[in-house]
Amino acid sequence: MFFRVMDKARIADLVRGLSTEYEVIGPVAKGERFTFSVIEDPADLRLDFDTTILPPKKFFFPPEERMMRFRVADNEVVDDEAFASPRVLFGLHPCDINALLLMDNVFLGEFEDPYYKAYRDATLLVGVSCSPRETCFCNAWDTDEVHWGFDIFLTDLGDRYFVSVRSVMGAELLDRHVETSPITAEDTAEFQAVVREFKRAFPAKLDTSQLPLLLDAKFDDPVWDELGERCLSCGACSMVCPTCYCFDVRDDLDPDQRSGERKRVWDSCQFSEFSAVAHGQTFRESRASRVKYRYYHKQWGYLSKFERVLCVGCGRCTHACLADISPREVVTALVEGSEAR
Amino acid sequence: MAPRVVVIGLASDFGCQVQMTNIEDHLLDVLGLIDLTYWQLASSGHLPAEYDVAIVEGAVTTEAHVEALRRVRETAGAVIAVGACAITGGIPAIASAGELADRYGCVYGEGGAEVACGRIAPMPVTAVIDVDYRVPGCPLDTDEFLRVLSRALQGLSGRIPEEPLCAACKTRENICFHDRGELCLGLVTRTGCGAKCVSLGRACTGCRGIAADANLDAAYALLASRGIPAEEFTRRLSLYNTLEEGCDR
Repeated sequence: MFFRVMDKARIADLVRGLSTEYEVIGPVAKGERFTFSVIEDPADLRLDFDTTILPPKKFFFPPEERMMRFRVADNEVVDDEAFASPRVLFGLHPCDINALLLMDNVFLGEFEDPYYKAYRDATLLVGVSCSPRETCFCNAWDTDEVHWGFDIFLTDLGDRYFVSVRSVMGAELLDRHVETSPITAEDTAEFQAVVREFKRAFPAKLDTSQLPLLLDAKFDDPVWDELGERCLSCGACSMVCPTCYCFDVRDDLDPDQRSGERKRVWDSCQFSEFSAVAHGQTFRESRASRVKYRYYHKQWGYLSKFERVLCVGCGRCTHACLADISPREVVTALVEGSEAR
Repeated sequence: MAPRVVVIGLASDFGCQVQMTNIEDHLLDVLGLIDLTYWQLASSGHLPAEYDVAIVEGAVTTEAHVEALRRVRETAGAVIAVGACAITGGIPAIASAGELADRYGCVYGEGGAEVACGRIAPMPVTAVIDVDYRVPGCPLDTDEFLRVLSRALQGLSGRIPEEPLCAACKTRENICFHDRGELCLGLVTRTGCGAKCVSLGRACTGCRGIAADANLDAAYALLASRGIPAEEFTRRLSLYNTLEEGCDR
């Protein structure tokens, strides 16, 4: 890793330069919120965004994705290629970069997913620093910092960015497209001050002491029934989650019935059909059990396999849940007891 | 032999049948696969005595409808109910709340009840006969209709999504109406429409019926806590869901 400083006004140069070689994607305003979208004009890039409605996972694992086309007559697969054009994803906060690293464990681990891999290999990542909102709790999982998994990371120092360059590709792009200067001792000191201020700005840190153990100990706790009564089973939490990776696979025939396509679509463990198997058996009939297993998977199941929890504290689910169910509330109920909420 | 298909309309505005004519891109593909022996909207003939697949639109509002549906069920190998009227009772079912005779009077004036003889309280097709496939919505979604028709022609099982709309709406990155304090029925409405209305700036009106997974109790409670009283939620639900269980508090 090496470091440079870049005048903030130079961002437009960088975006324009990158656009000559890549599709550039970044946060843009949508009403009062933000989405990651293709940047047509550098002025649309809003690096001061709070968070986006959907996380960047949509660029690696789209909500609906064609896996292959097939012919009915001879049952042949006619097209199953994964293709992705080169692009730069601009403006990822540390939580979102960390989330991609957690997704990699699933899609690039023991069973490599060719679709995800094609998108991942074709995409460069430029991170940007942020300030915590009231729904943020990334500091509870140490995902408020990111040390790898990006090509370039920009830390906002007011009038300039402290630029961390992680990859050779990142260094080359920076060199080709934008004017930067070497860092001074003063820049580093200011970078440290910004990081300290960022850490101080969080709301009270979520207590996650002994969480996996408590999940086992409180398997029959009434808190799950209370949450089940409130949950709408709408699945909004799973859709906006940067680390939810479950999908359903569907085969649809074309209108002429001669061929068809197999696609995968995002699914949610909060739907009763999610656990339905052949013969109509459903393993998680009750809403309470579905809410419970969401937490067991994220805070225990994944942890037991990859030594990390499957949550980065981005707060998107907290915002999306009309029933006001949040990981902060659930974890607090488990750690402190439900009466403490 | 190509499967013989009939399209039957009961009480409705025939909007779903009009939607079928709007499948221009694929209509010829579909027509090449079937023997369309009767289409109420588009043909002047009579319903034949034998057919394999019956597509039924509209609500049941007369004793004659009930009889006709029983015959359809006996005759057809597969019945596809299409549209809100056939599946939840839809807009016609609003009349089932309250005195029917009064309502006939509103429309036909004095003596209206006599004019409307043979009428019964409106109800969905699904309340009279078992159907094999359902394509909900007002009007039906043409892509979904084609998918369901494909499954019927192939003899595959019917599948209807069971969860509320919010998840699909999130994938479209719509700004949530509830964030702006406005009521949207997507939180309890059956998904499968791709959240078209919300994506175009209109709140969901619940035309696809109440999702099997919906938590109506929780929805009533959270809306009340956000300042939307139960009566208002019930009133909005009643447009398409008067007869749906749990929508009447």
